[in-house]
Amino acid sequence: MSETKSRTGPGRVLIAVYAVFALAATARATVQILTRFDEAPLAYLLSAFAGVVYIVATVGIARTGETSHRVAAVACTVELLGVLIVGALSMVSPATFPDDTVWSRFGSGYLFIPLVLPVLGLLWLRHLARLGRRPVSPARPRPASETHAPNGARPGTR
Amino acid sequence: MVDGVTATIQIASLILAVWCLVSTFRDQPMVVPHLVGVAVLWLLTIGQAVVATVQMAGGERPAETATFISYLATIVLIPPACAVWGFWERSRWGPAVIAFACLILPVMTVRLEQLWDPALV
Repeated sequence: MSETKSRTGPGRVLIAVYAVFALAATARATVQILTRFDEAPLAYLLSAFAGVVYIVATVGIARTGETSHRVAAVACTVELLGVLIVGALSMVSPATFPDDTVWSRFGSGYLFIPLVLPVLGLLWLRHLARLGRRPVSPARPRPASETHAPNGARPGTR
Repeated sequence: MVDGVTATIQIASLILAVWCLVSTFRDQPMVVPHLVGVAVLWLLTIGQAVVATVQMAGGERPAETATFISYLATIVLIPPACAVWGFWERSRWGPAVIAFACLILPVMTVRLEQLWDPALV
């Protein structure tokens, strides 16, 4: 089920891609901030932020459990919004971002992977959520008492 | 940095990527020949790193030394990392990870080359 599936099969490829991106974005931002922060503070801070979001998404997808996957879904959404907003801004006013970030021009400097990755991440997480909800073996008829228990057991009502 | 080595890494890496993609589509897990390919690629990247280190020790310095070294280190780490990934994932997705790694590697060597000699950009 979702507990074991997230780290196998296509999920493992996704984790590998995310891990590389997390590493690349964070390392690049670290070097930029340490060596020439004054040149483009906004762009470099944004790169650092993007790096952190990628790390959160990587860990969230790699870990098991619903909470981790929810965190990962939020991280993927932030990435998607980030790449769309920053991508659009960098086209409209290039002066705001004198140096490239991962998200500039919709991630064209990174083969548009930043644009595709969050979409794949969200699709994968949705797939996992569906797997988790679906019963493993072909529908077993449940006893009637079990299906109606939550409603019938309300106290104080007749 | 020796140009010939960079080109060899790029071609070898792309060939391995295509091969692994074929394996993925044919639903095969990682097998020993894949590992041999990864090992060859690893030796090439190690060779590149050794040459670059010797040249740097000899006084040649790329424009952004810190970035250059981190790229170089990452390139050397990629082949063993994807091999480990292939061992974990005993299905078609093992070669898929190796294919992805082998597509990143040429891109990173291009970047490395640009850092070493900005005139190439």
